Amino acid sequence: MRPGIEPGDWLLVDPTTRRWPRRGSIVLVREPGSDTLVLKRVAGRPGDPVRLGLDAETHRLGPGEAWLLGDARDVSIDSRRYGPVALDRLVGRAWFRYGPAGRPIGPLVRASGLTRR
Amino acid sequence: MSRVTERLTCLLAPTTVAHAHCDIPCGIYDPAGAVLAAQTVAKMVDLIGAIEGDSVADRNKFARCVAVKEQHAELVKHEVQVIWSDYFKPEHLTANPDLHTKVWNLLKLAGKNKQNVDADAAAQLQAAVKEFADIFWSTKK
Repeated sequence: MRPGIEPGDWLLVDPTTRRWPRRGSIVLVREPGSDTLVLKRVAGRPGDPVRLGLDAETHRLGPGEAWLLGDARDVSIDSRRYGPVALDRLVGRAWFRYGPAGRPIGPLVRASGLTRR
Repeated sequence: MSRVTERLTCLLAPTTVAHAHCDIPCGIYDPAGAVLAAQTVAKMVDLIGAIEGDSVADRNKFARCVAVKEQHAELVKHEVQVIWSDYFKPEHLTANPDLHTKVWNLLKLAGKNKQNVDADAAAQLQAAVKEFADIFWSTKK
């Protein structure tokens, strides 16, 4: 998730999140396939159009589905690989960095490029 | 760091680790391993063909060459499969629409090289891996 989040960052995660947060927010999810805890950005929410596959065909995300992307777009393993992510995989919304020493402390910035289409 | 700070750090540090999940090391892919493995397969086919005698030493060399051929044909499959599944993205397929077919044929060729001692099949495997590597590097331009 560079450059937004660096390896070793201490983050607060809101586990009470029951819906996909706004586009550009960072979420903690159980990755489809591996069940690893991963951080990704919400690039599409239920009902949003996303382009899937080679033919650039547009699909609408189903109820409870989100399109998640990593910030390091050229190397990230994300929805481009595993497709839309179901709501039951959402663990929480990462919203605040509180350490470690030397890292800026404060709310995580939503990616502006992902807030509008 | 003072002991107090150290203790405080221990208390505050998170206990759950989340990943951003790139491949580790992040984004480093290289088809060179596959190219080398395919070369090794071809070399083993040459060496196996050159064994003439039937002494214990010859038979030992034969067995070793077959084992290395087997291992490296498998290595070709592994190296290519990792790049194919983990590196290539839909946008790469737009530029190389027959990538899946090429990889499929390449993997079958690797299997053929395991089953046989065939210089033609080994040369075809080398050519297929080179083509795969060329496609890979073309996406880096």
